[in-house]
Amino acid sequence: MLKKLALAVSLSAFAAGASHAADVVVSSKIDTEGTLLGNVIALALEANGIKTQDRIALGATPVVRKAITAGEIDIYPEYTGNAGFFFNKADDAAWKNIDQGYELAKKLDYDANKIVWLTPSPANNTWALAVRSDVAEPNKLKSLTDFGKWVAGGGAAKLAASAEFVNSAGALPAFQTTYGFQLKPDQMVVLSGGDTAATIKAAADQTNGVNTAMVYGTDGAIEAAELTVLEDDKNVQQVYAPTPIIREEVLKANPKIEEVLSPIFKSLTADELRKLNAKIQVDGEPAKSVAEAYLKEKGFLK
Amino acid sequence: MEETSAVRRLDRLGVVLVAGGIAATALMPFIYVKANRIAAGKPMLLTQLLPQPSVIFLTVLLILTALATLFLRNALARLVIATLCLAALVVAIGLVSTAATPPGSTVARMTPGGGFWVLFAVIGLVISDALVKIRLAPWMRVAALAGYTALLFISLSSGLLDSLSIMKEFSTRAPQFETEAISHLLLAFGSLAIAIILGLPLGILCFWVPKLRAIVLQGLSLIQTIPSLALFGLLMLPLGYLATHVALASAIGIRGIGTAPALIALVLYSLLPIVANTVVGLQGVDPSVRDAAAGMGLTRRQILTGIDMPLAFPVILTGIRIVLVQAIGMVTIAALIGGGGFGIFIFQGLGQTAMDLVLLGAVPTVFFAFSSAVILDAVIDSIRGSAA
Repeated sequence: MLKKLALAVSLSAFAAGASHAADVVVSSKIDTEGTLLGNVIALALEANGIKTQDRIALGATPVVRKAITAGEIDIYPEYTGNAGFFFNKADDAAWKNIDQGYELAKKLDYDANKIVWLTPSPANNTWALAVRSDVAEPNKLKSLTDFGKWVAGGGAAKLAASAEFVNSAGALPAFQTTYGFQLKPDQMVVLSGGDTAATIKAAADQTNGVNTAMVYGTDGAIEAAELTVLEDDKNVQQVYAPTPIIREEVLKANPKIEEVLSPIFKSLTADELRKLNAKIQVDGEPAKSVAEAYLKEKGFLK
Repeated sequence: MEETSAVRRLDRLGVVLVAGGIAATALMPFIYVKANRIAAGKPMLLTQLLPQPSVIFLTVLLILTALATLFLRNALARLVIATLCLAALVVAIGLVSTAATPPGSTVARMTPGGGFWVLFAVIGLVISDALVKIRLAPWMRVAALAGYTALLFISLSSGLLDSLSIMKEFSTRAPQFETEAISHLLLAFGSLAIAIILGLPLGILCFWVPKLRAIVLQGLSLIQTIPSLALFGLLMLPLGYLATHVALASAIGIRGIGTAPALIALVLYSLLPIVANTVVGLQGVDPSVRDAAAGMGLTRRQILTGIDMPLAFPVILTGIRIVLVQAIGMVTIAALIGGGGFGIFIFQGLGQTAMDLVLLGAVPTVFFAFSSAVILDAVIDSIRGSAA
């Protein structure tokens, strides 16, 4: 009994101050863009008189996802394409279109979990290929069609990518079929983690002769690493548009949230996100001050 | 006779350390000058930096330390020279980074290279070797730790190291650093406290009931084999269920994410060393002492508190030392389930390939683990010393 009491006391001591029911619990994934968008949401809500609690950079996607369905967090930025994996519908063609994907994600998540998808950003943080600019320029590589022709014609591409990217049917295999090229095993360096920071670094440093990297569309390091992102001109990839998602209960209690966040997320294009991510990742500024500077610059914050 | 004493005059550990230090200085970069946080960086050897006064000063002290390590038998003199050398190393890396930073640049980063870290470790080993040879009393060792920590804080707060990459990461995150440090230490010490409250009685029970001993120890060993991240993940589901379905559970702060699963996992890992060491400590008590106490009419409880526990205490404390060092390291993983702590910096740094940010999480973790090991070792030795 005494032991149980001691456990309870120490646990509650840890949780002290963490339970103001009315506060909106803002969370995000632990990655750069997640931390940025989490701070954007928290700052915007606070500026509009909505009290928030900071659980930003909570953990990886499964952790954050479990937390919102369990009601432990209220709002966080999620990507439209990820809904396909949450609901085992990854093969649906809707995910390749930004509007259809958003509508489908919104419907599925509301029906299943009463989670509301607010206005998405027009950016697309999807898988893409980026080539070292000193390789792309002489070979005139702008799109994946160009890249496919170059590799099929014997171009010396060497790709750094995650195992997931190389193996999942929707990623590299889909690129290879659609754009008509085939990378040989010795043209690939496969990293077990799904980390674009590592693949970009490999291409930037030419580790093991790597000159092509798996990237996400809004990666901050692309420009600093002097890589050129190849355009997916035949829309092979699913669209991953960052969208704030919120529990319906909390939205009903604070209906203002939708109108506060909508113009902000509409303004966050891929170019803006790349720039903001770069400020965090390359220049080392804290995500909160980058978010604050952006909101002030665009007039969302005074 | 003459040759053997000449050979003996060379300290063997000293030869290894000096050789390592020389190789690191000659072959590994002292510092990387990077245009920004994730750029590859230009490696600079210590020899390339020689014209700078602080580097000349450092080189002189390095040579003196090498000579002292090889030929000087007086441990106290070696300690003084090596400590001066360590200070010169810290001053040099600070001044070199300030000199290499382009004026007005906020994005350039000066990261200490392998050469710096090896020299730091080698000088640290020379110092700790000298401290061991001096045979400091336990409390003097803690005082030495406090002294070197004070030196560290003076150099950090003086602004001398502000141009260093890890300090740039710190300066943009100072308030967060403080909260993460507090939650890191709370998690480590909190889990230790709970593990002691649960583990000591369990250990005593296991000592009294041999059948229980085998089951409990094997069960706890099994828990140790579960990878920590997996255990954190496994706890998330049942705790999340508890939090949403049992009002009392959520009222006392149990959640599927955050502190609760981290704390519970850490306690589970901590139980084995504490229970096992309690059993071993009690087994080590001479049965004749216990018999004599029983013969004098002491009750079972009086024997436990008056005879068994004091005699077994140093062994139990060794278990606690293992647990504390292990917990301080393991708390870093709690960041992945929202538990906070220095792991936040480590995982964000890994995500951004910003090794300086990783160091901001890793260096304090190592510092706290090392300090608590030194302090608890001193406590154990002083108890053993007074018992003997």
